[in-house]
Amino acid sequence: MSGRWLPITTQVWETAVTPCDCCGQVVPKRLWVAEVEGEEHRFCSPACVELYRDYVLPKLKGEPRT
Amino acid sequence: MGGGIDPVTLAIVNNAFVNICREMGITMMRTAFSPIFNEGLDFSCVLFDRHGNMIGQAEFCPAQIAASLFIVRWTVEELGVDSFEEGDVVLHNDPYRGGAHIPEHSVIRPVFFDGELFGFVANVGHLAEIGGKAVGSFAADATEVFQEGLRIPPVKIVSRDRPNMDLWRLIMANHRTPRNTWGDLNAQIGSLRVAERSVQLLLERYGRDLVEEAAEELMDYSERWMRTEIRAIPDGRYAFTARMEDDGVVERPVTFHVEVTVDGDRLIVDWTGTDPQVRGPINATYGVTAGATYNAIFHLTDQSIPKNSGVYRPISIIAPPGSAVNVVYPGPSVGGNTETHPKLADMVIAALAQALPGRVAAAEGGTACNFLFGGFHPRTGDYYANYHLEGGGWGAKDYDDGNDAIIVKNGNCRNTPVEIFETRYPLRTIEYSLIPDSGGPGRMRGGLGTRRILRVEPSTEVTVNALFDRTKPGFGAWGLAGGGTGGRAAIMVRRKGDAEFRTFSEAFGTVSPSKFTNILLEEGDEVLIDSPGGGGYGDPRARDRERVARDVYEGFVSPERARDLYGWECP
Repeated sequence: MSGRWLPITTQVWETAVTPCDCCGQVVPKRLWVAEVEGEEHRFCSPACVELYRDYVLPKLKGEPRT
Repeated sequence: MGGGIDPVTLAIVNNAFVNICREMGITMMRTAFSPIFNEGLDFSCVLFDRHGNMIGQAEFCPAQIAASLFIVRWTVEELGVDSFEEGDVVLHNDPYRGGAHIPEHSVIRPVFFDGELFGFVANVGHLAEIGGKAVGSFAADATEVFQEGLRIPPVKIVSRDRPNMDLWRLIMANHRTPRNTWGDLNAQIGSLRVAERSVQLLLERYGRDLVEEAAEELMDYSERWMRTEIRAIPDGRYAFTARMEDDGVVERPVTFHVEVTVDGDRLIVDWTGTDPQVRGPINATYGVTAGATYNAIFHLTDQSIPKNSGVYRPISIIAPPGSAVNVVYPGPSVGGNTETHPKLADMVIAALAQALPGRVAAAEGGTACNFLFGGFHPRTGDYYANYHLEGGGWGAKDYDDGNDAIIVKNGNCRNTPVEIFETRYPLRTIEYSLIPDSGGPGRMRGGLGTRRILRVEPSTEVTVNALFDRTKPGFGAWGLAGGGTGGRAAIMVRRKGDAEFRTFSEAFGTVSPSKFTNILLEEGDEVLIDSPGGGGYGDPRARDRERVARDVYEGFVSPERARDLYGWECP
């Protein structure tokens, strides 16, 4: 699975958290950054890239799923 | 069970994990100060390995299923596992970091054995008062998290068994009932020490290698079992949409949508299509939405599956950030845990009704009827605050009626006895009864809601807040398979000398009749709390005649309703 880990660095006054672009859960320390169909997205884990490819993208495109 | 450990030993280790969590909970119940702990049991207890996997969980409060799952893992990741030393306790209540809502405080303690980290013991408990704009910290008209109470990111409240008194003083200064906070938080922290000792005894008895191997095998076993359960559901996409009556700030319904995809041995539960985050506090955190999803799935699958991280692996959840199912900073969310969770869980169940008609239930009352009050007690002069929940009717199933007067399915809490209520607070209970005809009609009838009338005692002023739902027509608990809707909730007031009860909007001009904050009641004023009934299941005219007759005899169903809806005439 191609991609890279990106550490999340915050200042003490930054109290919001970062969500995953696919599932929405909190990413506490590092993001998995991967390119899907030419667009860079920030995921909580490599597994979420698969969910994005297999489920979210087809849904966004309105493709029928089996 | 497979693997290298014999099934008997695996079962013993699994039971030990669960019992350690139960012991933690019982310790809290016996040592906490507030009724919400020792009567309501609004807490959860978990055990984690050092990799952030949950390996044990006791059956306390389902609202915290996901919160307890994510909070420990994310906190350990955020702080770094190496930052934990023996005797530390990390505290946090940040709803955006896995929490269900801000009153729920998590405490996490590492467990070391022979100088090496084994894992973590943790619990989540609802503190009855944590400051903010409303007594009881349930601001039904909050528009930001800052109005909901003191928000605490993960911080060490105990370092190497020494309490961080600077932090304690900061917390005490921001809560209205600091003595209760002191007692309840120390009950949480103390129970961690009990659990830590029990884990160490388990490790002494069986050895670290065996316990760790057993934990791994148990997680794989739970995953396999859950996949088998999912595989038994017909593949397909199942959707459901529901609404809540308003958010407490804007007088407009809020729409939630779920689509459940069953794909072989995995489930995808997608909440896309839900309304954007709302201004009022019914937004769900990610922890609430995930918890509601898991709660529903546990209702539909074999309850014997050991509850550990393995059971969650086959389930993917999508909750768009910035929507009403995944609130982002600084949106309010205190009501999401009590009002939104039960609807979300019932929506997943209703979506799967097409696939699993014999296992599902109609919607339950779906509101915790949050009623919070406080003031100076006339007998002691001390400031008091209390968080009261009311049980409602549960949904009927294909095989039975719904239960009466039960706290929402995310609560698993107990109804507070009248005697406890009256002993501690200056409110007299005038009536506490089941409401006839509140159960949704059906071949199986929805459970009944309750009516409680409270009167403010002499020489007393009480400040009250409420966060209810399902008070308006069209928003009752839905039925299934032809069953009817459950009765509505109500929160009303009768000022001293008035003849009739009125809504708080009529009496005090609140925007929402069911969600309001900081209303001052005086001696002799009365509050009426009606909890809603559950939805019915199946055609009411197909109901067994003996059951209808018994309902009428017991006063659960009126003769008129028996005639009009069930087609049964009183002999």
